[in-house]
Amino acid sequence: MSAPARVPFHNPGWAGNTGEFDLTEADVRGTDFVGERPLDGGHESAAPSYPYMLPDKDPDAVLFEGPYKERFEKIRTRYPTARGALIPTLNLAQELRGHVSPETMDEVAALLGLASAEVRGTVTFYTMYNKRPVGRFLIQVCTNISCSLCKGEEVLDAFLRHTGTELGETSRDGDFTVIEVECLAACGFPVAVQINSRYYENVLPDDVPALLQRLREHGE
Amino acid sequence: MSTVTLTIDGHRVTVPEGTSLLHAAEEIGVEVPHYCYHPALSAPAQCRLCLVDVEGAPKPMPSCVTQAQEGQVVRTDQGLAREMRKGVLEFYLINHPLDCPICDQSGECKLQDYVHSEGRAHGRGVEPKRVFGRDDFGGDVLFYGDRCVMCTRCVRFMEEMAQDPVLTVVERGDRAVIDTFFEQGLKDSSWSGNIVDICPVGALVSKDFLHKARAWDLDHTPSVCPNCSQGCNIDIHTRDNVVHRLKPRENPEVNGHWMCDYGRGRYEWTNRSDRITEPFARGDGGWLAPGWHGALPSLQERLEDCRGPVHAVASAHASNEDLGALRELVERIGGGDIVYRSARASDEVPLPGFPMLARRRDLAPNTRGAELLGMHRVGGDDASGGLDKVAASTGTLIVLGDELADQPEDFGSRAELFVYLGAHPAPAARSAHFVLPVTTFAEQEGTFTNVQTRVQRFEPALRGAGNAQPAWQVLGALTASLAGEPAPASAAESFSRLAARVPEYEDLDYDQLGAQGVPANRPAAIAGER
Repeated sequence: MSAPARVPFHNPGWAGNTGEFDLTEADVRGTDFVGERPLDGGHESAAPSYPYMLPDKDPDAVLFEGPYKERFEKIRTRYPTARGALIPTLNLAQELRGHVSPETMDEVAALLGLASAEVRGTVTFYTMYNKRPVGRFLIQVCTNISCSLCKGEEVLDAFLRHTGTELGETSRDGDFTVIEVECLAACGFPVAVQINSRYYENVLPDDVPALLQRLREHGE
Repeated sequence: MSTVTLTIDGHRVTVPEGTSLLHAAEEIGVEVPHYCYHPALSAPAQCRLCLVDVEGAPKPMPSCVTQAQEGQVVRTDQGLAREMRKGVLEFYLINHPLDCPICDQSGECKLQDYVHSEGRAHGRGVEPKRVFGRDDFGGDVLFYGDRCVMCTRCVRFMEEMAQDPVLTVVERGDRAVIDTFFEQGLKDSSWSGNIVDICPVGALVSKDFLHKARAWDLDHTPSVCPNCSQGCNIDIHTRDNVVHRLKPRENPEVNGHWMCDYGRGRYEWTNRSDRITEPFARGDGGWLAPGWHGALPSLQERLEDCRGPVHAVASAHASNEDLGALRELVERIGGGDIVYRSARASDEVPLPGFPMLARRRDLAPNTRGAELLGMHRVGGDDASGGLDKVAASTGTLIVLGDELADQPEDFGSRAELFVYLGAHPAPAARSAHFVLPVTTFAEQEGTFTNVQTRVQRFEPALRGAGNAQPAWQVLGALTASLAGEPAPASAAESFSRLAARVPEYEDLDYDQLGAQGVPANRPAAIAGER
């Protein structure tokens, strides 16, 4: 019987750049999966997929015009009913405006020919729709079991302290909104933090100031 | 039709294929507790209260959507099924405020009933309850979020029946609550009162009925809605001789389980206290109150002497018996024209999910009955005007039930004999020689003929005011004494006289009309009108 393979003490996963490993996203995911998706959603099959979470949002953007209109029309063709297209359409509206306001719900309802009440029901059911405006960076800190065991609450506190905000509020400079979320499905690498569409894993309370500084200077 | 035979709680029952277990259990008199299931709406099977134990099934089955199968053995009343309901009910009470003492639903609340019969005697919760407070949905509807059991019957009613989906479930988990689109409310829906009826708990309550009476103090009298010619079957809920609310009574041929807000909200007039309570006769020096025994014989004498033309004004709010007795009297004293006036709306308001039911244009319950008796409608859509010819009458003038609100004070002053029969004082009837008090539909029994020419019975819900008598009795007694015959002793007798007179009612028998009414003999006409 051979000896069991040695397991390295540090398992990097994809932890952003922790300093120990200098991996890029392309290294981890392979070049096939890296790159910008076109704003109009590319192929119809990809159009309704997970939205971009853009740092720059325009709450007054028109629903929809230009490439977004194209993408909306592609979404609409993918579903037999208007009700089916509701969630991807809301994704698109949030991508553009940063949050789903009552007015946005009404507009989406009109676009799809649904009742406004039903759209409100859907938006409020899903926690990933922002019902209020959020900052340039939406920081979602996991405090579910694995992350909680690894000081998730302390990481959350650190984010709140260093951004100077309350939970769910936006910092005065409009840069950061910190919220607490349930499992981000990164239990192997706690504490998991999602900032806009990126994951930051193995985050410790002490990492927070540098992380925020990097966001301020370089974006995501 | 093929059938299946199964065993429920040890009883064998045979039902048509496709019957749900819930209905199969009903067949043998077993009520499976349920919230989200309603016979007229889709069944989402989400309340988890109707779960039953099916032998061989891997887990409990929701009886509202599980179809009965041949040879199934189902338990609803013991073991697993009972334990499960106890558990589900405990969950329902986690955030329930238990404010039964101030809740209007108390006494007719399904949560109260089920917890009393099968729930835990003591709560085990130690955490504070979440609190929503209440929300005004507009119209007559008030929402108490804390009492809600999230059965979504109201959401499905607005979606499937009213087809105006203004209600939805907002948020999720223990924050889930029924709401409209922010402050939009029910948008003046014409059918919103029904969501109060189908709410199994006190979450949706009527503002009109709010804190007015306890459910167990109310008497329920089967009746027919008097507010349009649809003739929805209703229960009149009264306490201490006061009508407190109207509730729809199920009739699959007329109104299903529903009634409109227009009809539901217009009952206050039955409680009016300005009533004519004594028969009055005009004497030499003014009004006399001779009592019925004095008034009727002297009126009979006057009627015998009258030789001029006869005019009569009836009301489409009067029962068939009343109108039939009026017709008979008019013919007895020489015959003449009978007209009626009734309000008419500009359009019908149908219930899209149950198109047989609509708030009809005719805003009176018995326009069809009046027409079958050869009376014809005069005046405008606001029930005014049209009486010029009648007012100028110099012969006999009889007014039944029309308050003559738009008529001048000297209405009927040229008539040789002017008889006014009404429930409420009519200032325009001051020239009358006789003013006789009659009961409203809520104080007498009788029948209305609805827009489908369906004859439907109603029962007395209130005591008559003072010495008021049903018009069929007053008019029938007059006709009978003029003819030297016995007077009709009951509404049934009065109806059989009517059936002999009107060919459409020929085959109808008062007792056989039952609680749901019977279509008159005009099948072709009925089919065309639906």
